[in-house]
Amino acid sequence: MTKIRTIHEPLWVKILLFFVSGIFLSVFIVLPLVTIFREALKSGISLYLQTFTDPGVAAAIRLSLLTVLICVPINTFFGVFIAWLITKYEFPGKKILTTVIDLPFSISPVIAGLLFIFMFGSFGWFGTWLMDHDIRIVFAVPGIVLATLFVSFPFVARELTPLMRELGKDDEEAALTLGASGFQIFWKVTLPNIKWGLLYGIILTNARALGEFGAVSVVSGFIRGVTTTMPLYIDILYGEYMFRSAFALASLMTFLALVTIIAKAVLEYYIAAQRKSMEVEIQS
Amino acid sequence: MNIEITNVSKKFGNFIALNDVSINIPKGEIIALLGPSGCGKTTLLRIIAGLETPDYGAIKFFGEDFTNKKVKDRNVGFVFQHYALFRHMNIFENIAFGLRVRPKKIRPDKKAIYENVMRLVSLVQLDNFVNRFPSELSGGQRQRVALARALAVEPTVLLLDEPFGALDAKVRKELRLWLRRLHDEIHVTSIFVTHDQDEALEVSDSIVIMNKGKIEQIGSPEAVCDSPVNPFVADFLSDVNRPLVKNKKKKLFDVMNDDRQGI
Repeated sequence: MTKIRTIHEPLWVKILLFFVSGIFLSVFIVLPLVTIFREALKSGISLYLQTFTDPGVAAAIRLSLLTVLICVPINTFFGVFIAWLITKYEFPGKKILTTVIDLPFSISPVIAGLLFIFMFGSFGWFGTWLMDHDIRIVFAVPGIVLATLFVSFPFVARELTPLMRELGKDDEEAALTLGASGFQIFWKVTLPNIKWGLLYGIILTNARALGEFGAVSVVSGFIRGVTTTMPLYIDILYGEYMFRSAFALASLMTFLALVTIIAKAVLEYYIAAQRKSMEVEIQS
Repeated sequence: MNIEITNVSKKFGNFIALNDVSINIPKGEIIALLGPSGCGKTTLLRIIAGLETPDYGAIKFFGEDFTNKKVKDRNVGFVFQHYALFRHMNIFENIAFGLRVRPKKIRPDKKAIYENVMRLVSLVQLDNFVNRFPSELSGGQRQRVALARALAVEPTVLLLDEPFGALDAKVRKELRLWLRRLHDEIHVTSIFVTHDQDEALEVSDSIVIMNKGKIEQIGSPEAVCDSPVNPFVADFLSDVNRPLVKNKKKKLFDVMNDDRQGI
């Protein structure tokens, strides 16, 4: 391990750095956060709470929760599946698969949304067939779920792949020689080994699924109370000058984001602890 | 009643890991697969375990063809170079794992598992460590846990991949003597992979010397030291440190020099 060298800068440099970063953080992070809660609570707590009884707001919260409840488990399952495939097996096209996983990250969310319009919209590839069978995907809840699935897919796989690569195949092979079945190996050996990394990936997936605006706005069609998730509804409220409601809903999302950050920090602590124990194991 | 490896070959892409390898391992013996790194010894061990499949050739365990048998049905004990202990389980759970994952019909009851595990921890002299986790043990202790875990399933053959490779020199010497004595006690057919000549000579009943995917010589430690069949074997064993070999060292050097002149 390399020891961090202490840098001896003059005091005025330290003070300057401290102030510059302090001002930057205040202006760009703390101030907006405070503003959200201040604006939301400006007219008192009872009006603030009243916002959430508005049918449109309540519907938006419900739709967001529904989307998260569908997307997070699916992306968790396939994320683990693909990370497993990439790290435990050799097959042609592995590099391509690893690259394709990152596509939702690198592609603009608007384009991601348009992809679904091109596929499932009335003039899309499957449009006629879907219309004939009276199935609505675009401008309906399925479209929102699909778009969210797409943009929040990479997190679990991205988080697990390096971790599982580092862990190697030894534990699984040991379990295999001891007579364990594939199912037993996954539940008793692999899952306990990856649990912190997996939770971390789930939390990031959750955050992205809740917060997604671009892709969802393209496929949503903004049908109030039907296809408006929380971020979309905030946009609507704001556009109609209903600032108090917009900020109230925004404060809810901010609160969830803060919870996410705390959970993330806690998990990072556990992941670091696991890394450390792995290092110790290899050294001795 | 042997383990027979017949004409086994294995390629990884263009790299020939094993080239027509045949060995016959008598029951109850301890065999060393010795050779420089990349000679195919670990691949051969993994093929015997079923963790790799050979491109050609056959593996027979005591007369029964095992070539296409699944790993979990082979009943082998495998000790990994870095032990591969389950880090989230304590020592007891680690050793009990192989018994606990058995299908209900052949799974021993709780009491039997407990007794089995306790017998094994005392065999590997770790009686007071059952509640510890792998990260709380030294390398030598972990190695013994890995051994106990492999023995818990009463394997027909014990396979050890560089069992002392990750240990420091002093512990390594202690452990290999200990392993030899343990083997004299329990007599399970054992195959271990090593690149360390002294280790092979000290622990094994016979040595299989490998190079570039082929077997160079098979024989008892004395035989391979006294009469190496070719320059590679002579050179590879030239700096072994063994009292047994010492007084014959002159002869060994002569053979070597003769062979070198021959080249």
